[in-house]
Amino acid sequence: MKQRRNWLATFGAVSLFAFAQHASAQETLTINSFGGAYEKIHRELVITPFEKMHNVKVEVVTAYSADTLAQLRAQKDNPQFDVVHFSGGLEHAAAAEGLLAPIEPAELENHSQMYDFAVAGLDKGIGPTYSTAVIGLLYNTDQISEAPTSWSDIADPAYQNHVLLTDAASNTYGMLGFLMINKVAGGTMDDIQPGLDFVQKILSTSTIVSKSPEIQQNFAQGSAWIAPYAQDYAFTLTKSGLPVKFVQPEEGGVLAPITVNLVAGTDKRDLALKFIDFSIRAEASSGWAEALRYTPTNREAKLSEEVAAQVVYGEGDVAKLNTFDANAIAKKRPGWNEAWSRAIAQ
Amino acid sequence: MSAGAWRANREPAILLGPGVLFLLLAFFFPAFQLLAQSFLTFGTEPVQFTFEHYAKAFVDEFYAGVALRTFRIAFTITAICLIVGFPLAVIIARAGPILRASLIVIIILPLMTSVVIRTFGWLVILGPGGVISWTLEQLGLIDNSISLMHTEAGIIIAMAQVLLPFLVLTTLGSLSQIPPSLEEASRVMGAGFFQSMFHITLPLSVPGLASGSLLVFALSISSFITPSLVGGVRLQVMAGSIYQQMTGSFDWGFGSALSVILLIVTLLLIVPYMILVSRAGGRQ
Repeated sequence: MKQRRNWLATFGAVSLFAFAQHASAQETLTINSFGGAYEKIHRELVITPFEKMHNVKVEVVTAYSADTLAQLRAQKDNPQFDVVHFSGGLEHAAAAEGLLAPIEPAELENHSQMYDFAVAGLDKGIGPTYSTAVIGLLYNTDQISEAPTSWSDIADPAYQNHVLLTDAASNTYGMLGFLMINKVAGGTMDDIQPGLDFVQKILSTSTIVSKSPEIQQNFAQGSAWIAPYAQDYAFTLTKSGLPVKFVQPEEGGVLAPITVNLVAGTDKRDLALKFIDFSIRAEASSGWAEALRYTPTNREAKLSEEVAAQVVYGEGDVAKLNTFDANAIAKKRPGWNEAWSRAIAQ
Repeated sequence: MSAGAWRANREPAILLGPGVLFLLLAFFFPAFQLLAQSFLTFGTEPVQFTFEHYAKAFVDEFYAGVALRTFRIAFTITAICLIVGFPLAVIIARAGPILRASLIVIIILPLMTSVVIRTFGWLVILGPGGVISWTLEQLGLIDNSISLMHTEAGIIIAMAQVLLPFLVLTTLGSLSQIPPSLEEASRVMGAGFFQSMFHITLPLSVPGLASGSLLVFALSISSFITPSLVGGVRLQVMAGSIYQQMTGSFDWGFGSALSVILLIVTLLLIVPYMILVSRAGGRQ
């Protein structure tokens, strides 16, 4: 019996080895994804169809943006990644450090279908935005019958004690929402005082939280009626049965792009470009909207009526979206964090 | 050192070895690094010696306010733990074995629960629309739902709950060393229950109360998870603002200066307290 088991083990090891040999004979592309439900959908929409189409193997390393950037820095002379995905604006830092390679528009077949903002940084090494989160207003439809129309509606006395803000110092979406509030209040990237004044004015009748689960709690307990936050999170709340809707205010929402980038110095440039091109095709773009309610960045993306009503969609609405310079945010963030913490301190 | 002295000290030295080594690596080395960092400039070449981080910490009203709140909260928590913990420890010490074991389990239970779960439990009780708010509303005492979340009272309640076992267990140690005959004697001599408690039990349990309250104070002054989850972002405590300086603003110099100040102030409070208590204990 024991001998037989040994024999089986040997056979298993040999066949595994043979299989591994076979697999490595296939070309392999190494990318990162963000894990969990996101990675699952990433595989369904892009990775697995790409592997089948080109008969290649895509090696997925689960790593968030900050980890990925750290790995790119460490592997600068001998990059292990071919394509990297970033959220939160880190592609700007990576591109500025020369870790990402520029892409010619002609190298991407789907380039002409993309909205301008989605391919604006190609020449600097910033890869295309393949889908984007949007920060706008979430509101409780049971309590608020008429959808809010402006960012300044969070100061509406009718919503007193039911406004939920997100900490700008510890939460990226919180910071983007605050920058938009600042812009509407008359501030600029060089002067956030108008935004701080605005927040201080409504501070005594608002709640500030730092993590997204707290947003869910506050909506679930009925204490939050209106909150600046992300469109995809509104969907998370809707799925958990809460009467929450997302709306893009008239001043426009804020873009929080998710990008797919070409790593500088990869020896699989052609295949990597094919992958990037495949990531930005219309079907993938609409797939992200269907699955997680991210806004498509490909003009040709077609959405069902139900999904279209829940995301910023269509040329006109997309044109309203605001972008804040990720490099400027990174540089000024420490000072802003401190100013924000002081402004909201009790 | 003579050979004789070495022989006499050899065993204690070997026994102390692992602990000292661990302290050196895990406490003194990082603490020394923090101390050095707090006096150095960052981002300049070459690195220079500076007092600017300390100047900022002392001049700035904002950080003085944060420090004041931290110590106020820690004192209140310690006082509550003493007031609640001492009678509780007396009861546990005098109880039968079954009641004693179950009381101890109940008191230790919060310590064994993850801080996240515990905090969410408090949210259900203290939060808007939570049990307290709902009860007061049903009784007609308040009109709008109130919340103890994001208040100092909330932090104090949640912290006192989890730190109580430290005080109760150390006091229990002292209490169990008091011979019951002492109390019996005082009662025979005509002292009432509370008189006997005040003149016999309380003074004899001072060592336990002292080390317990020191533990509670030190833990509440340095904790930041419960204060940040229950207190929210608007009520900063020192540990939380050190965390933010280090991981959010990457101002390691200033973060280090705040850490050193926290350590020194804590020592300034604790050392005289220990001396005072050991004298008081010695008089008994």
